[in-house]
Amino acid sequence: MYAVETQNLTKRYGKTQALKGLDFMLDSEEIMVLLGPNGSGKTTLLLILATVLKPTSGTAKVGSYDVTKQPTKVRQVLGISFQEARGFWRHKPAEILRFHAAICGVPKSRRDTAIEEILKDLELWEARNKLFMHLSGGQAKRLEVSKLLIQRPKLAIFDEPSSQVDLRGKRKIWEQIRKLREEGSTILIATNEVREAEYLADRVTILDQGKSVTCDSVKNLKDEITGGDIVELELEPGTDSARLQEELKQIQGTVSLVSGGENRYKAHVSIAEAWVPKMTNLCFKRKTRLLSVRVTEPSLDDVFLHFTGKALETPKNA
Amino acid sequence: MRNVIRLVWFDLNHELRPPIWIIMEWLTFTIQLAIYGALISQLVTGISNYQQFYAIGFVVMMTFDMGSHTGRHFVEHAHEGRLPYLLSLPIPRSKLFLSIALQGGIELALMISVPFVVTLVLIGNFTIISVVAAIATLFCLGFGVAGVMLGLSFIAFKSADLYTAITAGLSSIIIRFSTVLYPFIFLPPSYAAAALFSPLTHGSDLVRLFLGFDPNILLNPVYSAAILAALAVSTLGLGMFILQRLVEGVKSA
Repeated sequence: MYAVETQNLTKRYGKTQALKGLDFMLDSEEIMVLLGPNGSGKTTLLLILATVLKPTSGTAKVGSYDVTKQPTKVRQVLGISFQEARGFWRHKPAEILRFHAAICGVPKSRRDTAIEEILKDLELWEARNKLFMHLSGGQAKRLEVSKLLIQRPKLAIFDEPSSQVDLRGKRKIWEQIRKLREEGSTILIATNEVREAEYLADRVTILDQGKSVTCDSVKNLKDEITGGDIVELELEPGTDSARLQEELKQIQGTVSLVSGGENRYKAHVSIAEAWVPKMTNLCFKRKTRLLSVRVTEPSLDDVFLHFTGKALETPKNA
Repeated sequence: MRNVIRLVWFDLNHELRPPIWIIMEWLTFTIQLAIYGALISQLVTGISNYQQFYAIGFVVMMTFDMGSHTGRHFVEHAHEGRLPYLLSLPIPRSKLFLSIALQGGIELALMISVPFVVTLVLIGNFTIISVVAAIATLFCLGFGVAGVMLGLSFIAFKSADLYTAITAGLSSIIIRFSTVLYPFIFLPPSYAAAALFSPLTHGSDLVRLFLGFDPNILLNPVYSAAILAALAVSTLGLGMFILQRLVEGVKSA
């Protein structure tokens, strides 16, 4: 049984179709990242799973519970951290977390220590008695994430967990999310931040215009790009470069090879892990010394571009 | 039930921090009654003490305001992003609805407590039963009005401006075409016909009856009680239906 399963899920807002027959599966205790630009349907999917929105058609299940037929059961096993932390302007962070912990059934004996621990770890302890309306955007976002870290649900849903947060804060949030998974939670994250996806994902689902374009591990997705890996070589001076260049082009997996100056080459290859040993073997046979090798993988932005024909990180959302 | 109490307390704590608006309402009532009520009662004939009549009318108007505030509050929740959060909590929708209704009831009780006591002191002639009956009538009216506003909330999910315009227009019609300020028998026929449809007419006449006003200048109490009870039950039922079946959190992006 999947932790989450949707079949032919659609959602319409008037004339706009946010989800177009989405089939999506999430295994237990994995971190799945939904990657897609704004308007791709990520938030809509998360809100349907959290029973905040109702699907127009199709089915969505969390564990064995159907989101439309057993919404209360669904809400008892999941928690959601929203994209925008809003609402209780005149409450203080500690009060908000105390309320959330109590209503989500966190035992009273554990509440205060858990709240203190999370607030300290996410550097909110000093701000615990400030009114919500006086928190910075980053603090409000960290507070929103803290709710789930205290609740520790079986299925934790994060909508852009580290947006508006500085790099140090992002790392802390990511570490906490990983810790949550290690303790047995299944994690579903929506983001359009490539670094976040690379850091956290066991698998990535690429969403575009309400549809799942592909779903696989980060490594497999990168390997799918023909010529996506870049290998930069520097050979010792005096090498018969013309001959070696021809032989390098013959190695299986070479998509293109260009000279980058004297004894320097830049090769676009399909799978660098397979190409580099063949290349070093060739150099050994030709008694040519390699001075340096540098391998660059494609980013998830390249993966997104490959599968959708569009760049994920635009200057607007990068 | 514990979660309902938690929700009510959490939200009430938010609304009453600081409790300035409730104090301002009490002050408004006191000033209106002490100055305007006292002056106007010198001019009105046909009612033995218009200031007392006016005091009850004003309490009924405050009840109406509070009921519509509860409905609007729900809509504000949606637009401020609180509704999606509340909808995602692990409690049944019926309990969420109960918490909204209870919170509205407590806010109503707080808001009218001082004006109601002042009115009772002004009238001076009441019994425990008549006071309880008057309070029950006010709550029935408050829940009914909150239910109407909740029933209209689905408009707000399409357009908050349209909702504001409709509820403001409806409120002014319901208040103007009612007996909150003038007895039914003194109203012109066309005005009186419209006033029969206003829940405030029935609420204010029933409270006045319980607090000792002359039944000859008031509507039939059985008729008024039946209308208020039907209004509260039907609109609260409608509100609950909307919350369980139709309401979705406003999508933020």
